[in-house]
Amino acid sequence: MERLDVSYDKILHAYPNEEGSLIPLLQKMQATKRYISPEMVEAVADYLGITESQVYGVASFYSQFRFTEPGKHSISVCLGTACHVNGGETLLETFERDLNIKPGECTPDKKFDLNRVACIGCCALAPVVKVDNDVHSKVNVIKLKEIWTSYE
Amino acid sequence: MKITIDNKKIKIDKPATVLDVAAQNDIYIPSLCAHPELVPYGGCRLCIVEIEGRRGYPTACTTHVEDGMVVRTDTKILKEMRTELTQLILSEHPSACMMCDDVEGCSVFQGTIRKVGITTGCRWCPKDKDCEFQRIVESLGIHDLTLPGLYRDIPIEKYDPFFDRDYNLCIYCGRCVRICNEYRKSSVLSLKQRGKFTTIGPAFEATHIDANCEFCGACVSVCPTGAMSEKSRKWWGVPEKYEASTCPLCSLNCDIQVLTLKDKIVGTLPPGVPHEAGGELCVKGRFCLSELVNRTTRILEPQFKYKEGYGFVSWEVANEKAVEIVKEVKPGRSAMLLSPSLNLEEIHFAKQFAEKALHTELISSSCINENLLAYMEMASHSVSLNDLKKAGCLLSIFLDGNYKYAPVTMLIKDLASKVIPYCQIGWTKDTTTRFATHFYVPKSGDVEGFLDKILFNLKKEKAKTKQPIITETLAETKNSAMIIGPEIMSLTNCISILDKLKQVAKQSHSMIYMPNPYGNLDGLLALVDVVPFDEIRKKIDKKEIDLLYLVGDSAFKKNPGVMKIIYQNAFPAPEDLQPDLILPTALWGESNGRYLNTDKKIKKSYSVGDRHGYSLPHRQVFLDLAKSLKVKLPKFSAKDLRKEFQLKLKPVPEKIKVPAPSKNYPFSLVQENAQHVYSSLNLSTGIEGFGDLVKADHILLHPSDARKQGFNNEEWAILGSSKTEKKFRVLIRKNIPKGIVLLTSSNGQLEFESNPCPVKIRRDHV
Repeated sequence: MERLDVSYDKILHAYPNEEGSLIPLLQKMQATKRYISPEMVEAVADYLGITESQVYGVASFYSQFRFTEPGKHSISVCLGTACHVNGGETLLETFERDLNIKPGECTPDKKFDLNRVACIGCCALAPVVKVDNDVHSKVNVIKLKEIWTSYE
Repeated sequence: MKITIDNKKIKIDKPATVLDVAAQNDIYIPSLCAHPELVPYGGCRLCIVEIEGRRGYPTACTTHVEDGMVVRTDTKILKEMRTELTQLILSEHPSACMMCDDVEGCSVFQGTIRKVGITTGCRWCPKDKDCEFQRIVESLGIHDLTLPGLYRDIPIEKYDPFFDRDYNLCIYCGRCVRICNEYRKSSVLSLKQRGKFTTIGPAFEATHIDANCEFCGACVSVCPTGAMSEKSRKWWGVPEKYEASTCPLCSLNCDIQVLTLKDKIVGTLPPGVPHEAGGELCVKGRFCLSELVNRTTRILEPQFKYKEGYGFVSWEVANEKAVEIVKEVKPGRSAMLLSPSLNLEEIHFAKQFAEKALHTELISSSCINENLLAYMEMASHSVSLNDLKKAGCLLSIFLDGNYKYAPVTMLIKDLASKVIPYCQIGWTKDTTTRFATHFYVPKSGDVEGFLDKILFNLKKEKAKTKQPIITETLAETKNSAMIIGPEIMSLTNCISILDKLKQVAKQSHSMIYMPNPYGNLDGLLALVDVVPFDEIRKKIDKKEIDLLYLVGDSAFKKNPGVMKIIYQNAFPAPEDLQPDLILPTALWGESNGRYLNTDKKIKKSYSVGDRHGYSLPHRQVFLDLAKSLKVKLPKFSAKDLRKEFQLKLKPVPEKIKVPAPSKNYPFSLVQENAQHVYSSLNLSTGIEGFGDLVKADHILLHPSDARKQGFNNEEWAILGSSKTEKKFRVLIRKNIPKGIVLLTSSNGQLEFESNPCPVKIRRDHV
């Protein structure tokens, strides 16, 4: 904790102490650990002289910020129009059941985290599941288990 | 400027919004999110109007009037659109209170939908019949839902004291968030997430206590629905009367309005329109007063201690017994202890009774000691709160103002956010801390040295050496002001610290403001020549006192060795005190009275509620007793108040050396004495919710300090200084700085050899 405070200071002092620094600061903060921890929110609030509630209020508005620790691999299930029509919802439900987590959460062994995305731009291949940077096309429930076990 | 609203020609002198102008001219435009103290938000969109020459339907709350504007507020299309908007809100807002077949007969027959043999009516929502949203639905004449309803099923939040939150009823008008942010400047609440996942509250899932909430209740007052409700009057219904009065819980004596229902006090609010009355009060004035008055343990009947035990007696018998006791005692061998929360009339009659009937001049209060007298002597030079508004810079010293002195902390936040330098010295981060240019946490043994440094720097003219920021701000701004909090009274060497502060104020030409936590201590000192409490204690030890007359003050836990005790109070005496006669009295709100506040102004409080049981006002008790004793007590007049009073102060005593933290004793323990006392009742132990905020006999630690020692909340810790070792429960609070341990003791005694005191903490393994 003590050591972490020092590393925050470096990031914090690179930005002027003004309201406009909030979002760039949060982005830099997230880049260090891939998520925003309560300690980071506290550090940003202290630096900018606003309350933690205000920082969290802004940060939680944007989907680019996450507040839970991501897993080693992140699974994104597309729920865009084409994927949704082709059964994206069922895929997400199956993931939720198999991994026993909800979207936005991470498995207790920190291997996978599950997210929903609106569209990743390859609707012809619907339904699509993205694991890290690999796109898996025309997925069905049977194929699902193969996909995530191959990353274990 | 001239404008026309609904064919009514209106003249306007100063800029205003269409909504304001309409409200001033009795033209009703429905609105849910607008509030006179807040910046227009345009969130609910119900105040849409038609303006000639403007495209679309602008909202009245965000549109400023212009010359020649022609506004229509009540056309057919506007009504249709408002109905549609309201239907959208209704699709997520439970509407059992409005869309019910029995809605007309509801208040008459109190029918219940449940299949039970009772007729209580259904109680879905604590704000039923007092709800702004309900009124708007009624005024639009909506009787059916056109959209399918969705219940969000958000768990009801009940874990914080004083108010419950049911965000299923929330309509996201944002009033609570905005009043917390803009008016109170606490910024505890914010809108989290977005779209249909939006919730309101502090960061992450933090409790309001952890988020440094002051519990001023502003969010609860301004909520237009039942999403926020006071725990103590949640299901009481709509108050019948709102009456002006004064709060007796500290020396600021804020204006309040008292809410009554069937002549029972049910709640208190700051002055103003009830749904707009914001957060001018602290938690004590906003939530504790009604709980105090309605405590179930109040004494309701006079009691006399017979040989066989206590017996209830009538007031006639009680008077006889009191006369017997008083006649038994020789003149000059009795003492009277008064509570500093009594009002001026009560203090006056108590003093007259002591002089004329008991023939004694030994009048005191258990709070009066050398430190308090020194503090009050300095406080007699205190400026008024209005003068403080002209300050050029502010320095607050041990104010610790989250749960007290709300007008002062609001003034600090208001001035500091207008770029007036503000420095803070203290042991807790309160809501003013984030506005401070400098926050200094004195360690043990450091308090006086720090003030010496400021003094030294102030005396040097234009020193070239690097100055501490505090000196710079004090020296370089005109009209500097120092706000000194009464927590200073519990520090070791308090008198010499006050003396140093006096010098700092003199050197820097600062004005000082010093509030105190007692409702009418200024009045007590202005009316009575008090003796320090220790003198009375010494006399009792020397067997020079036979009768102790306690008026709203229970100074002793058990009989200190006097023959007779008369106990006149509303709250029961400590179990072992065993007074000979117990006389029940009325409290604040049950009799008229006046208070003298820090600004040296006389504030009136009124009798608004029924007295409990057979209790009588203090004044009446004294007059009746005096009549039986054939003594006449003169009436009270405000002329009796001394403008200037000389306190018998001793010279600055010898200093005790306070050690600094060392390797073995790394933490600085700071003890705050529980000064939240009203008529002998300690709010920390007497009111559950307040006890959650200011927890008695617990030590508060910063999370990282607690983590290093492996502590969780409510675990036992052993606190050891070089001389003493004591056991306390731990509470983890974010607003405690690192290296500080804060202790609030319920008995007001110092637990360790000095305050602050260097200590070490370890876990108790039992």
